[in-house]
Amino acid sequence: MDSSFISNLILATVRMAVPLIFIATAELYSERAGMVNIGLEGLAAIGSLVGFLMCYITGSAWIGILCGALAGILVNMIYAFATVTLCANHTVYGMAINIFAPALASFINRIYFGAGSQLNQIKLMDTVNIPKLKDIVFIGTLIFNQTPMVYLAFALVIFTSIFFNRTKAGLNYKAVGEHPKAAATLGIPVIRIKYLSCVICGALCGIGGAYLTTCYSNTFTEGNIAGRGFIGLAAVIFGRWSAVGVMLACLFFGFCDALQIRLQVMSIGIPYQFFQMIPYVATIIVLSILGGKKSGPAAKGQPYRPEER
Amino acid sequence: MKIKNATGLVVPLLSILLAFIIGGIIMAALGANPLEAMQYLIKGSFGTVNALGNTLNKATPLIYCGLCACFAYKCGVFNLGGEGQFLCGAMTACVVALLLGEKGVEGWLICLLCLILGTIAGGIWGFIPGILKITRGQNEMIISIMLNYVATLFMGVIYTNWMRDASVPQTLQVPQADRLGRIFPRLRFTWGFAIAVAVGILMWIFLFKTSAGFKIRAVGYNMTASRFNGFPVKKLMFVSFIVSGAVAGLGGAAELMGTQFRLINGFGAGYGFDGVAMALIGQLNPLATILVAVFFAALRVGSTSMQAATGVPTSVSDIIQALVIIFTVAGLALVKLPEFEAFRLRLTSGKKEA
Amino acid sequence: MAEILRMEGISKRFGNFYANKNINLSIEEGEVHTLLGENGAGKSTLMNILIGLYQPTEGKIFFKGKEVHIESPDHAARLGIGMVHQHFMLVKAMTVFENIILGEKHSKGLFINREARRKEIIELSERYGLDIELDKLITDLAVGAQQRVEILKALYHGAELLVLDEPSAALTDTEVEGLFAIMRKLTSEGKSIIFISHKMREVLHISDRITILRLGEVVTTVNRGDVDGQQLADMMIGRELKPSHYEKKVVPHDPVVELKSVDFSKDNKHNGLNGVSLAVNKGEILGIAGVDGNGQTQLAQVIAGVITPDAGTVDLGGNKIQIFDPNDFINKGVAHIPEDRNLQGLVGDMTIADNLVLKETENPRFSGGIFLKQGVINQYAKDMIQKYDIRCQGYDQDVRSLSGGNQQKVILAREIESEPDLLIAVHPTRGLDIGAADFVHEQMIKARAENVGILLISADFDEILEMSDRILVIFEGQIMGEFSGKNPPIEEISLAMTGNRKGGRA
Repeated sequence: MDSSFISNLILATVRMAVPLIFIATAELYSERAGMVNIGLEGLAAIGSLVGFLMCYITGSAWIGILCGALAGILVNMIYAFATVTLCANHTVYGMAINIFAPALASFINRIYFGAGSQLNQIKLMDTVNIPKLKDIVFIGTLIFNQTPMVYLAFALVIFTSIFFNRTKAGLNYKAVGEHPKAAATLGIPVIRIKYLSCVICGALCGIGGAYLTTCYSNTFTEGNIAGRGFIGLAAVIFGRWSAVGVMLACLFFGFCDALQIRLQVMSIGIPYQFFQMIPYVATIIVLSILGGKKSGPAAKGQPYRPEER
Repeated sequence: MKIKNATGLVVPLLSILLAFIIGGIIMAALGANPLEAMQYLIKGSFGTVNALGNTLNKATPLIYCGLCACFAYKCGVFNLGGEGQFLCGAMTACVVALLLGEKGVEGWLICLLCLILGTIAGGIWGFIPGILKITRGQNEMIISIMLNYVATLFMGVIYTNWMRDASVPQTLQVPQADRLGRIFPRLRFTWGFAIAVAVGILMWIFLFKTSAGFKIRAVGYNMTASRFNGFPVKKLMFVSFIVSGAVAGLGGAAELMGTQFRLINGFGAGYGFDGVAMALIGQLNPLATILVAVFFAALRVGSTSMQAATGVPTSVSDIIQALVIIFTVAGLALVKLPEFEAFRLRLTSGKKEA
Repeated sequence: MAEILRMEGISKRFGNFYANKNINLSIEEGEVHTLLGENGAGKSTLMNILIGLYQPTEGKIFFKGKEVHIESPDHAARLGIGMVHQHFMLVKAMTVFENIILGEKHSKGLFINREARRKEIIELSERYGLDIELDKLITDLAVGAQQRVEILKALYHGAELLVLDEPSAALTDTEVEGLFAIMRKLTSEGKSIIFISHKMREVLHISDRITILRLGEVVTTVNRGDVDGQQLADMMIGRELKPSHYEKKVVPHDPVVELKSVDFSKDNKHNGLNGVSLAVNKGEILGIAGVDGNGQTQLAQVIAGVITPDAGTVDLGGNKIQIFDPNDFINKGVAHIPEDRNLQGLVGDMTIADNLVLKETENPRFSGGIFLKQGVINQYAKDMIQKYDIRCQGYDQDVRSLSGGNQQKVILAREIESEPDLLIAVHPTRGLDIGAADFVHEQMIKARAENVGILLISADFDEILEMSDRILVIFEGQIMGEFSGKNPPIEEISLAMTGNRKGGRA
């Protein structure tokens, strides 16, 4: 194992972690307002397709990302309406989104591109290229030669951490997920915050999905989310509902992903699928070690109905 | 008399209608005549003996996966691992049939053996999230989804590596003599369909007619009351996870022995979530789930002839399916709202006065 | 002293039922005004109107001389009315500091200015002697400290009138002393307090004036010095001893269940048991009287095998219980009408017939080993619907859609028909109309005649007096005394319910 293996591994870890950070942070915002959304996989799928499509049409990865976010929001509004207003079961409706959104994505994909859609490619988002600095060995590539989305992901973590820990709005927001009734008696608009959480969740999931097509691989394939939505869910549990914790969890899962790719390249004789299993098996093991003691926002997954008058 | 049953039927039917209306609008937007397209959709799925055969054949794996989801949810555990359990069944059946086939051992007994071992394999794959749930309190959804990916990848190992058919990334076909035969030679579906329906009927009988099924339903509806009334809640949840996995495993084995004959990229993909959708639309009634599965299969099969005749792409039918689930689940939540109940009462009392 | 709050002619009607009827209440600045009344006397409804959760059907509210229409708790808080709920409205996973500043609007800026907010809070807490560590999580605080957080929170949000809903219910004696010191400090600084309590000793100790509510109406308002505990208890309970409809029995000591020194999380006065010993004999109704939340829930669940006691023994039919498992208790002849019928007693999405045989699915009468005998079950359900007068559309109606009274009859039928040795009935007539309640009582008397031992746990004192052959009073998880059900000494019992041992402190 030489140093380039390790530096490549670290670089890949960061890149693989970025979509997870967006998706897991999306769930963090959701659960902090008491909304357990297991539809992340679907939201990311639609974000991924729309991001790809708009990038393909306009040539701009940024417009792609933006439209991916919008698509995520739109689809998640269905979830928000069903769960907040109609009090549908969060899990069941999240599953409905997981079925609906990928179908919608593949529908749009096939309608627009017809058969053979895999052949269409886009130009990936450019990396931020800071002359000189990027030439510093390893650190240069790691810190100064990434796509802006990587910086955005980490900025999001910092912002989220500050928002939940330092701002009044963040405190009020958290109260909605912990004890909506108490929040309501203090004049915090519970329903509005729940909807807002779904907007944020949809947007971030959409961005996470769009990242995969506009910054990572330059084409859209069905199933490209590959369980990242559910790994994102696991990352929120693993990260103990804190922004930094979630980021670390995503880096861990990103590392597993990066490791499996590196190992695939290196090893001969062992079927590559065994390496591909690593992130999934790691998720199971991590969750099993953590145990399922009641944790996270106290009122998550529970319907909230304003007090009868 | 039974209001619940009425809404339970009306909501999905309205959802289907609504989904078709939106589907029709999409078809029109794509430049086709929606009525014509839908005619082909129906013709292509039920119009001929051939089409019917295809539809029921396509429905077979969906029924197993729907029943798998149905059984687990009935007991209040969310098994999203139907796909992995399905694949485990298929892989076991394939490997056993091929290994024995190499030694020249084949025949219907082998077929039976494959189905049984596939069932067991599915059960084992359901055992893992089940045991983690009841002993570690783990989130069964995430675990079972992760196991889907593990199973899919493991299948990849088999067809690209261990049992690869020369240069093509797929396994050999299982021996002719092992295969599940057709019930009617002219119709494409096999005994796998008959077994699926039988499993569905048995499941319905078990859930609604036996004392054990009674307890499982009670746990699924109200865990606390079940505990107060002395039911072994955890044990029942654990058992339903295994049974649920076993049904999917049997489905995988039957699909392999009856229709696909070999493992190949994309085998069983998406069946797990399809199963969840069908169970939810069927409101966890095994018989209704079978009907929904046939309906889904009809959409899929019919859409091919629709595409051929009118140019409306097959994926329109996927979107219709997806809309059905979105509407049904929302609709079922809606009718449970107290406001809706009040509204309904106002309507009916208004009628009486008038 | 000036009047801070006046409620004039307040009525609140739910359907045909008046929870509050023409209530007049006046609170002066700087006083502790106690609302005294039994469960269901209308105290909570009145306070919910005051803090804007309910709108009154009739009546006016004047706050600081101006008429107000209070639309929400938030609105009430802005006016200066703060409530400390009996079940605290605190976010357990947040710190004291965070809970207090939650929802505050008087400071500008996006960020929490910790220094400034802390200074304000510390000032307030020192002024009123509310000693709290700001950086602790609520989870890590004792109940008394949590209550101080609630009070501080209300003050921080500008409360001038504080409603304390049974604030002492879950406190230890020293904590109660601390609470009273705080209350005195608050009133000396001009704040007003509405104090809701059942505990006579405390009421007499801290109140300036006392308003007694009964059946939704004001009985009277008195000054503390003008009455004694006995008079207050009489006014609150408001009844002479009515002869019971039922003959009271004295049976020999032949226990179907016997508890010896049973503890369950005994430091928790609200939800614990502390050295409870009792025996229910064959053919008698043992009534447990007490105000809600003094350990009745836990008592019932221990005897039903749902929870395992920390110490002590439970003997069923003379055998000591080793493992607490509901199924085992059911098989040993324990029937249970649980406290929360929808959550614990019934499976709402199943039919009446299903719920009637919920415990009998292994019984050869209804099950042939594997299959249920649906025909037998349906016929049985039809019989039960007749026998227990369950008003429904048919045996295959979901119990969820039945009225509360009929739901209770389903449970009653199931439990009594199981021919138990012991029947635990927890608040068996709560929320039922008189007809249904009488029916439930009749059935219990019938069961007694068949030698069933019945443990009746109820917060409805009338029910206890009417039904019980013997009465035990439970208070803060302890048995306060045993009284005869025949010519029961009402005064003594009601004093015991408010925390006074027979012949003990007054």
